[in-house]
Amino acid sequence: MTETRNEHRLTMESAASGNPWGCRIDSVGVKLPARRLTTRDLMSKTSHDTHIQLERLTGIHERRVVGPGENSFTLATGAARDCLAHSQHQASDIEMLVSASITRSRGHFAQSFEPSLSLFVKQAIGATQAANFDISNACAGMLTGVFILQDFIARGEISCGMVVSGEYISHLSWNAARQIRSVFSKQLASLTLGDAGAAVIVERAPRGTGIDVIGFTTLAEHSRLCLAYPSSLGPGAQMYTESRKLHRVAIEDMLPLVVEAIGEAGISLSDIDYLIPHQTSARAIRAATGEFVRRLGARPKHVVLNLEEYGNTSSTTLFVALHKYLEEQRIRKGDRVMLLALASGIEIGTAIFTVDNLVDGYGHAH
Amino acid sequence: MGTHIEAVWAQAGNGSRRATARGLADAAARNCFALAGRRPGDIDMLINVGMYREDSMGEPALAALIQQDIGASPARRLAGPAGRIGLFGREWRGQRDGGGGQAGHAGTFSFDLLNGACGAISAIQIESGLLKSGVIRLGAVVSSDVQPDVKDPGAAFLRPAGGALLLGWRDGPAGFTDFGTETFPEYQDLFTSGLVWRRRPGIHGIPAPRLGTGRNEMIVTVKPGYHARLADCAEEAARRFLRRVGLAVEDIDLLAPAPADPDFIDRLRARLHVPGDKVAYTPEDLAAAYTTGPIAALQAARKSGRLAEARTTLLLAAGPGATVALALYRQPDAEPK
Repeated sequence: MTETRNEHRLTMESAASGNPWGCRIDSVGVKLPARRLTTRDLMSKTSHDTHIQLERLTGIHERRVVGPGENSFTLATGAARDCLAHSQHQASDIEMLVSASITRSRGHFAQSFEPSLSLFVKQAIGATQAANFDISNACAGMLTGVFILQDFIARGEISCGMVVSGEYISHLSWNAARQIRSVFSKQLASLTLGDAGAAVIVERAPRGTGIDVIGFTTLAEHSRLCLAYPSSLGPGAQMYTESRKLHRVAIEDMLPLVVEAIGEAGISLSDIDYLIPHQTSARAIRAATGEFVRRLGARPKHVVLNLEEYGNTSSTTLFVALHKYLEEQRIRKGDRVMLLALASGIEIGTAIFTVDNLVDGYGHAH
Repeated sequence: MGTHIEAVWAQAGNGSRRATARGLADAAARNCFALAGRRPGDIDMLINVGMYREDSMGEPALAALIQQDIGASPARRLAGPAGRIGLFGREWRGQRDGGGGQAGHAGTFSFDLLNGACGAISAIQIESGLLKSGVIRLGAVVSSDVQPDVKDPGAAFLRPAGGALLLGWRDGPAGFTDFGTETFPEYQDLFTSGLVWRRRPGIHGIPAPRLGTGRNEMIVTVKPGYHARLADCAEEAARRFLRRVGLAVEDIDLLAPAPADPDFIDRLRARLHVPGDKVAYTPEDLAAAYTTGPIAALQAARKSGRLAEARTTLLLAAGPGATVALALYRQPDAEPK
């Protein structure tokens, strides 16, 4: 009996790449809006009687949503400031700042185009000397930013950089709530979204330390499985997702790439202490990791889920989850963490690193 | 060793009102691959730097759609044993490097980079670094814009165009060697753009649960004096950049600037005291290209033969922010005429 799998490979950089420096995660910051929206409240506001048991399907009990005066820019800036508060660096140390938000609401713009959001963030936090640009890579945006900065740092071109994202994306939920009729709607995934900002500072480290492996690939044959456009129903966008097919791809095509990454790191899946996957649905994540375990014959020690509290915060999910586990002192020095991004595109990306002094910024006692 | 331009291609839209940003990028990329004699499947990375699209799609990255359209790293299915994938660590590496049938071949990683008119230089800088690290062996930068759907005809600040650039790594001293970027936020209000929600007239209260209650309208504001201020910023940034790399303006054999607007180029040239015969002028049909501007300038330099003759070419782009991006392309062995 045979099975088929794609031959996609990761575009990958590792500690063994031969560059003169390593790159480590120095700090992670978040900005969560204070306002909470429960799944029950959201579903009570749908225009149609949908009979969708969203909380049971996804594991999402509530999510944070912006209040007056909050938008992508304020969330990104708040997260950047929180990140600096946990860092040994000053804003003036940041040599490159990358904004990775899908949503870029600022001022009266529902989606700001130019100047770049990164320019406004760097000005707001005082990183005035930093080179800056925005990237757009759906929910994989922040990890894409880390991939880019990692190479600049490993080559010695810069020594410190920040990736930031502010996602005011709950407008997709409200736009979907007005149209969705059943569990088969392509807008179902829009109901899982929550707002959040996240930021991460990466810095130079001795060669052979820091991020062990970071890699990405784009499964472009699936590029149309999830599409988002400006809405004609309300401010912001609407998103259409073929969730079931996306889930199949996540299992079938992601698995060989995970094997490739852990192989490059010279470890087994069972050597991963914390696997932090993109937060979509608890049921989908459990099914996918269960399949990984079955096929690889190994399991990570913990699979991180924070959907119950925050929902899917799009490009920020990995770092919101990492921040939570650092703050709660669950992740400790020496733990090996695997971040696993899955995004429209289909983008699959991963980073493997061993936690070091990162925990110091979160009050950990040694 | 340096980042080498394998091929460069820029083309104006054909005037069709149906021209799409994706279509323009696809066409430019295909022409660029044909020019280089390379296959789309050869690229390890594709960065799209286009800003303005007919649909202002939020996700996925347009780069992923372009990757699929041009056939870069199409899915090929491999048959393998079912059940456990029992390879870990060095065992996996051994199979990969020792004849697993795909040694050395990577997939393609695609994403969008948004840095306005400077995006192409930012993307070249990223790919140059990854080429130097050996993470990629061939990278593509693609660009395209169509005129945003703005109601004010005065806001028509660009003409549809698409571009593509293929970058590789070669032995020898030639190639892109230095990059710089600088921002002047005191001029951030001179050019702004974004989507603003406009409710359709006659729609009041809670809109009905159907499409068409309004639209997210693109608003572009370009204030008078924008290009002149860009030129001032570009001069300052260029002088600082050249000082940093140990060069003077007189050492530049060729200046490839973008945008091609005369208010920008003439003022910049005058302030830097660069003679006209040292400037790569973009042809008229691409003069109002936006993110394709730097690629069009490089194409003009290459087509004229002057890129091959220049020991030192300064690629310069300026745009909203105000942002100035610079790249130095050196060919120490070139023989100027």
